[in-house]
Amino acid sequence: MSFITSYCHLTNESCLVNGQHIAGRDSESTDSWLKQLYKKQEIVYPKFYKMDMLSQTGFILTELLKKANPKLANAYQDDEIALLFANRFSSVDSDVRFQRSYQQTSPSPALFVYTLPNIVLGELAIYNKWYGENMFAVLPKFAADFYVSYAEILLSAGSEASLCGWLDIADEQIHAFLFFVEKEGEGLAFNSENLQKLAGTI
Amino acid sequence: MDQLKEDLKKHIIEQLNLEDIQVSDIADDTLLFNDEGLGLDSIDALELIVLLEKFYDIQVTKPEEGKEAFMSINTMADYISKRKAQQAV
Repeated sequence: MSFITSYCHLTNESCLVNGQHIAGRDSESTDSWLKQLYKKQEIVYPKFYKMDMLSQTGFILTELLKKANPKLANAYQDDEIALLFANRFSSVDSDVRFQRSYQQTSPSPALFVYTLPNIVLGELAIYNKWYGENMFAVLPKFAADFYVSYAEILLSAGSEASLCGWLDIADEQIHAFLFFVEKEGEGLAFNSENLQKLAGTI
Repeated sequence: MDQLKEDLKKHIIEQLNLEDIQVSDIADDTLLFNDEGLGLDSIDALELIVLLEKFYDIQVTKPEEGKEAFMSINTMADYISKRKAQQAV
């Protein structure tokens, strides 16, 4: 049996880690909501500013999970943490921005590199040096069974843990849910019923 | 030349989304692709090529030229000046 050892939710208004509200968007700030969260993390990673919203969301929420679960940093070999993500809208916001860039001015390479949804996995792998299995699926809706089935396969084939996420972003509306699954640890049993309950706000 | 360098710094900050960097943070001889400088990467190099075409109507067609030209603000300004002079002939 595996366990969901930590999880977090992000919408355009609030951020919750393990069900606890940890931050709300400051509507008076000139910074974007994701930038507000980034600044709270006290990390210096200038590449964050170049990322699209999909990657920024995945990056920030992963940092929050690491903070909630500090042993993550050293508990696993660099190829033992799998990344299993999905969403409904692929990389549509970046696709549209890139399309505008080449229709209105000149095509932007910096936008082009984000016109695939799985780029967020590359960003996480590079920053965290997590080189395990990875998968990004585009699904019609959040599907707990997908995560349970796929993660169990990964965990039975060499991975010791899996960072999983639903990163639904379109028209700058964010509905994100990340959760960390480990073979051993304290948390909810990793099954469809528990996952569906945790994802209830999606 | 000083105005060209200032404009270049502004364009680079804007085009490359270097949100934490101010014009005053970039010295004329700061190495652009060095971790102790601006730490730019290969995608940023492509953005610099786009930037030259967009703002200065200069196409970088020879990769070896770019390697020299993109070392610092000084080398970029020199490159732009030379190319502009060639275009004027």
